[in-house]
Amino acid sequence: MSNQNKFMQWIDDRFPATKVWNEHLAQYYAPKNFNFWYFFGSLALLVLVNQILTGIWLTMNYDPTAAGAYASVESYIMRDVDWGWLLRYMHSTGASAFFVVVYLHMFRGLLYGSFRKPRELVWLFGMIIFVLLMAEAFMGYLLPWGNMSLWGAQVIINLFSAVPGYGEQIVEWIRGDYNISGATLTRFFALHVVALPMALLLMVFLHIVALHKVGSNNPDGIDIKKHKDENGIPLDGIPFHPYYTVKDIVGVAGFLFIFCAIIFFAPEMGGYFLEPPNFTPADSLKTPAHIAPVWYFTPFYSVLRAVPDQALGVLAMGASLVVLFFLPWLDRCQVISMRYRHWSHKLWLGLFVIAFFVLGYLGMKAPTDARTLVAQIATTYYFAFFLLMPWWSQWGATKPVPERVTD
Amino acid sequence: MKKIIFIIAACLSLSLQAAEEGLTLPNDAMTKLNGEALIISQQRGMQVYMNNCMGCHALAFQRYNRTAEDLKIPEEVMLKNLIFSDGKIGDQMTNNMPVAKAKNWFGAAPPDLSVITRSRKPQWVYNYMRGFYADEERPYGVNNSVFADVGMPHVLEEMQGLQGKTDKVKSLENEIKYAKEDKAIANKQLKENPENSAELNKKIHDADKIIHNAEAQLTELAANGEYFTLIKEGQLSPEEFDKAMMDLVNFLDYIGEPIKLERQRLGLWVLLFIALFGIVAYMMKKEFWKDVH
Repeated sequence: MSNQNKFMQWIDDRFPATKVWNEHLAQYYAPKNFNFWYFFGSLALLVLVNQILTGIWLTMNYDPTAAGAYASVESYIMRDVDWGWLLRYMHSTGASAFFVVVYLHMFRGLLYGSFRKPRELVWLFGMIIFVLLMAEAFMGYLLPWGNMSLWGAQVIINLFSAVPGYGEQIVEWIRGDYNISGATLTRFFALHVVALPMALLLMVFLHIVALHKVGSNNPDGIDIKKHKDENGIPLDGIPFHPYYTVKDIVGVAGFLFIFCAIIFFAPEMGGYFLEPPNFTPADSLKTPAHIAPVWYFTPFYSVLRAVPDQALGVLAMGASLVVLFFLPWLDRCQVISMRYRHWSHKLWLGLFVIAFFVLGYLGMKAPTDARTLVAQIATTYYFAFFLLMPWWSQWGATKPVPERVTD
Repeated sequence: MKKIIFIIAACLSLSLQAAEEGLTLPNDAMTKLNGEALIISQQRGMQVYMNNCMGCHALAFQRYNRTAEDLKIPEEVMLKNLIFSDGKIGDQMTNNMPVAKAKNWFGAAPPDLSVITRSRKPQWVYNYMRGFYADEERPYGVNNSVFADVGMPHVLEEMQGLQGKTDKVKSLENEIKYAKEDKAIANKQLKENPENSAELNKKIHDADKIIHNAEAQLTELAANGEYFTLIKEGQLSPEEFDKAMMDLVNFLDYIGEPIKLERQRLGLWVLLFIALFGIVAYMMKKEFWKDVH
């Protein structure tokens, strides 16, 4: 036995290193027909690591007080700290990139039915990650203590005042003050850098454990474990490592190209990633001309505004998230993947994507009568897509599903 | 269905056309400078800033020595000619403006301008600096066409002189004002008794047309440099003043993000590296995947 093997043996006697490596990478068999849409899971992990690492270094130089926060970002991190500007842009661009990647990852799930039995828990854990991510992003957005940080937080926190009876008390409890103040900033800082990242990491761990228990779905939506060779290895499966590690690295290069192009040439991304009003310090007496949440929240914000009544609007916005959790039980189609479904299903999904984009666009704009009407139509469709899914997913003839995966 | 598509298309195109903040004039673009010319312009801009603006508007996020290094100004030269306080070269660029008193003098304390070109665009600042005009109704006798009723006096009057809106501009702006009033009344009536909607909608439509036409004419006048006329001459000709304001804004744009040029320079190398890395990664992937059938 070579020295290296002896060393591994010593470890393996005390910790299942080789076992874990094999179960999750070297002998984890993934379908061989993953396409473009399958890059976004590993990319989400990459962005998570980016956010945690840049976040740690930003924390070293950030001052979480109402008096010092804004200056510590604009003066200290952006100018005095070596490479501080790069850390900040990686983190701020990373926040938006996280949502881009996660939205595409979720769309993949919708497209190929990755949430269907037996992957319900994978989907549920993923949805919890999504909700945690929204909370994480929302609290992080307060930290630069710019004027949009303050007013954006003001609008979102005030949503909780819609809770009947206890609304005001809840809002005060969240803020820790009668207004958004240093007290709010420090608690959001604590949640943003300690509590939520821990919860996120735990949920990501569970998401992957659940996935590796049942195995990955694929664009054909068929079970590769039905056809195994004499060693019990799926005929259409290939070990994740090295095949998908080398493939995902290509995806990483493609992603990093766009990511770095934004960081180095358009870190504000035309005001969508870093909003112009956030380059003025938080001022509770100066309301920005137009308050809109950051782009990744705007589809849900549009749902809120589409309902004329505030309390019902908050309820609708909550429902637009909650309904996603039920997806595995709403889809009743015999076939998992969109590839083998009736054309009407593709139309439903296509219109859903359009509705989501329209809602996102309208959420960034000041409301007018015409825009509100469009938002109401899109919101109605958003809910119809999910609530009518038990019916429409059974419409029409499905195409024959192949026994083995196609290329 | 057609109607829905029409509504979606209509509101998308409308919002793309209409600026969120409404029309502000003048709205002239700046000449883009690069390399040496840009640095020289920024140096001149710093001179204008330190002589005229620094007394009220600090640049507290930035340090003198960083500015000296980036703008290639020798530290001794900066200490002697550009730092008027007893500040040291490593200090932040602050001033002694008493905030509480300043609020009393101007209605609002003059803001720190370290990142003004990021909260407002450089082009906005450029036109704002050129937008002061005589207006007897304001406490300092001037108003600003880009930032209406701003508290700031016309600090550069000595340089620019004093300009006023031309009669043509005044009459067009009155047209817009009256049309907007008509529109507001019609909108209010429409809410109160909707049965008269055909006539009222026509009124609103007509008012919109007048506003649109007048705004188009104003834009054209501004583009031709006929928005203002000089009432009192200054030390600089209008062309010289515009150039000085470009220098000033180039300087402020540098202060807004001192790393900008360096990050763009670096960015090219980063992208080049990632592209090469991507090619190698793709070749490696192809090699590994040869045995997948």
